[in-house]
Amino acid sequence: MEKEWADLNWEEKREKRFQRWLSPDVKFISPEAEKLYKERVTRFTKAIKLEEPDRVPVMLPTGNSPAYWGGGNLRTLMYDYPKTREIWIKYMEAFGDMDVYDAPAFVPSGKISEVIRSRMMKLPGLGLPDDAPMYQFVEGEYMKADEYDLMMMDPTDYNLRVMLPRSSPFFEPFQRLLPFRSLMDSSWVSILANPEIHNMFQVMMGLTEEHNKMIAANMELNGYIQTHGYPTLLGGGPLLGAPFDNFGDALRGTHGIFLDMYRQPEKVHEAMDWYVKLTVEGTIKNFPMTANPICLMPLHKGDDTFMSDKQFAEFYWPPLRAILVALVNEGLVPMPFAEGRYNRRLKEIADTPRSGVMWWFDQTDMKEAKRVLGDVCCIMGNVPTSTIATGTPDQIRDNCRRLIEDCAPGGGYILGGGASVDNGKFENFKAMMDAAKEYGVYKK
Amino acid sequence: MFTRSNDWAKLTWQQKRDLRLEKWINGEGIKFDSPEAEKNYKARATRLAKAVKMEIPDRVPCAVPTGWFPAMNAGITLKEALYDPEKMKWAWLKFVDEYDSDTFDGTIFFQAPISEILGDRTMKWPGHGLPDDSHSAYQYVESEYMKADEYDLFMKDPFDFQLRRYLPRAMKAFEPFADVPSFSSYEGLPHRLMAMCQDPRFQKFLKAIQEASKHVPVLQKASFETSQAAYAKGFPAFRGGLAVAPFDAFADNLRGTHGMVLDMYRQPEKIHEAMEFVLPQLLNGAISMADMTDCPVIMMPLHKGDDTFMSNKQFETFYWPTFKRLLLSMVEEGLIPFPVAEGAYNNRLEYISDMPKSSVIWMFDQTDMANAKKTVGKVSCIAGNIPASIAYTGTAKEMKENCRKLIETCAPGGGYILSGGSTFDMAKPENLHAMMDAAKEYGVYK
Repeated sequence: MEKEWADLNWEEKREKRFQRWLSPDVKFISPEAEKLYKERVTRFTKAIKLEEPDRVPVMLPTGNSPAYWGGGNLRTLMYDYPKTREIWIKYMEAFGDMDVYDAPAFVPSGKISEVIRSRMMKLPGLGLPDDAPMYQFVEGEYMKADEYDLMMMDPTDYNLRVMLPRSSPFFEPFQRLLPFRSLMDSSWVSILANPEIHNMFQVMMGLTEEHNKMIAANMELNGYIQTHGYPTLLGGGPLLGAPFDNFGDALRGTHGIFLDMYRQPEKVHEAMDWYVKLTVEGTIKNFPMTANPICLMPLHKGDDTFMSDKQFAEFYWPPLRAILVALVNEGLVPMPFAEGRYNRRLKEIADTPRSGVMWWFDQTDMKEAKRVLGDVCCIMGNVPTSTIATGTPDQIRDNCRRLIEDCAPGGGYILGGGASVDNGKFENFKAMMDAAKEYGVYKK
Repeated sequence: MFTRSNDWAKLTWQQKRDLRLEKWINGEGIKFDSPEAEKNYKARATRLAKAVKMEIPDRVPCAVPTGWFPAMNAGITLKEALYDPEKMKWAWLKFVDEYDSDTFDGTIFFQAPISEILGDRTMKWPGHGLPDDSHSAYQYVESEYMKADEYDLFMKDPFDFQLRRYLPRAMKAFEPFADVPSFSSYEGLPHRLMAMCQDPRFQKFLKAIQEASKHVPVLQKASFETSQAAYAKGFPAFRGGLAVAPFDAFADNLRGTHGMVLDMYRQPEKIHEAMEFVLPQLLNGAISMADMTDCPVIMMPLHKGDDTFMSNKQFETFYWPTFKRLLLSMVEEGLIPFPVAEGAYNNRLEYISDMPKSSVIWMFDQTDMANAKKTVGKVSCIAGNIPASIAYTGTAKEMKENCRKLIETCAPGGGYILSGGSTFDMAKPENLHAMMDAAKEYGVYK
């Protein structure tokens, strides 16, 4: 009899999720495509398990580069879904062999963004020049220093009535809502029927067609790509971050959270503990079986330059570790993305279950990373984005060769970029792929 | 609207209560029909206030437990009263003109047209699960509207619990929210709201809300005008707000009797934690209602603490401690808690006697009034307990006789209000008159 999910250990759970990733419920265009798909997924799962695959797997940091290669830009992706599809498929066909390939990720719909204007995010044509290659996050104290308790006491209430109206003028009518916990009789009927709130919902409903169109286009494209034999590392697990960043990025901002570390450190701890519990119990526990188990976790304020070792040890790492361990225990594979540099954090972050976590590094010294972390975690990175954007294929090949020499021995390494490249040269991505094949084959 | 003096925090609870009572007795803002009506209003309010404070009034106050009687009295069905605010207003004012009482009990606060549109599953009423000519205005439908494992959610994300768990179960219109992802994390929230709006059922929900909202001002207006007219005729409200015992907050509306009794054995500590959680909310609700209505009396219908629902041990473990603290906190703010002990409280009299003198009024339904007078009656004003059976089926003479006995037993020394054990929805008209006659004939303090 098959064991119940709850009775499996984390490795067994992960194996089930890996199986699902390896054998998706799709109809491949050819047996050849299916074979390639399985080889590629296996390459990653072996690297994650710190085993030696046939060769070093590559996650090409192509990002939004296909858009530019095809004569478009970020706005094309935001507005023109058919054109996006056309370019993306052409790019895939022109490129040929890749270990992963995805439809555009994290691109907001232009039409919806025009209506639901965000104070937190600038986009091409919406606060940034039309040809801007990336969006820009606008930090602010969206949550005030004395609001930790308010948020923890009734988080949904806080998000709807306080955060949304602050982060977008569109949601300002929500300020009129009363806390649901104290609503009596029919008072909420009148409030929900308020013309401004009613209108807000009507506008959102009017946008659903656009929303559906974008989601359907994205899903269709990802499906198309998959049936052609390309796996993805995205979109499987929950999108999470470090608890410290949850407060430091969008809510309190860098300025606010750093004052809090001195002025009300115990509040920051209390809030992070609360957030960990909420996330573990609400999101991670019993996470459904999805297309792949990888959880991308972009990390920000824990970088070498943002805080001291002491602060990292006190504020950043313990709650982050709690999230990582919870993900691992659910059979998921957390992939923290250490933006910036983590040279001084390596020893500390090695304290997780062996082969449970895979780290994606940006500017961290990979040789050191391999030395300190290599026995515990699969590591990925870190061809510099600058070289991919401006360097030559020879420089790329050289860089990849050195990375493979430093990191590949014994398995547990994925060749990747320091970050996704918005406008990287086609030939440089090609050179990365070639280098993996040339230098990254494991001899049996 | 009651405003606090600058030295409010320094006042004793008696001083706070007296300030509130004074505002209520003065009836500021009421446009009385005549100087006589104003005189009567103040006399009635003073009579009640003295009874509450266990002083000797001119006579025993008599609070006719109106209930839905005005509809029957005016010859309209309860369905008509519930759905036609103008008819309701007419019937209730007709009652006020025809019957003497020391209080005006208010109008129908249950808003049937709104509940109807939103698909309320927690209630049945005439025209909605009950016959049109039913004499019971509504019937509460108990169920596990909150599941056994949802105490934590209830406490840790109250809005989420209400929106995605409670309301979809309690009201049909809210069903789509059951499938909406949680809003407890800010990350990606606008997208989740967008996703919610895509559900075609959501459009229906908004329509229902629009439709329901049209009834709100109509019902409120009728209710407000009726009350104002009754005050203007000289009848004071003796109910500034409503509160419940923390245990009942869960046992009645959320877990149901069945669920709650299981919880008492399976997860007693969760009940305690949850009662602590709602206590300050119940308190704040009571305070703001009393402030708004200028009447410090907070009516508290009690259910599961009755003699037959639980043992004394359970009463002293689960029911009484948080309830007592709620009462004391209300008293501390100058409010006058008015618990209505539905059923019988014969086994509880000793517990509930442990309160500051004259701080609470106890309304009894089937409790032995002689015992009540000897115990809780020493510290609190008591009210009740004319049986509904006599009001419905007895003669005026029997009614008067029953009242006389009650007055003889409970009135000596003050601290008694003549009233029913429950509302007199189907009483014989002459029996309501007999009640007041008895108060005037036997209840005068020499």
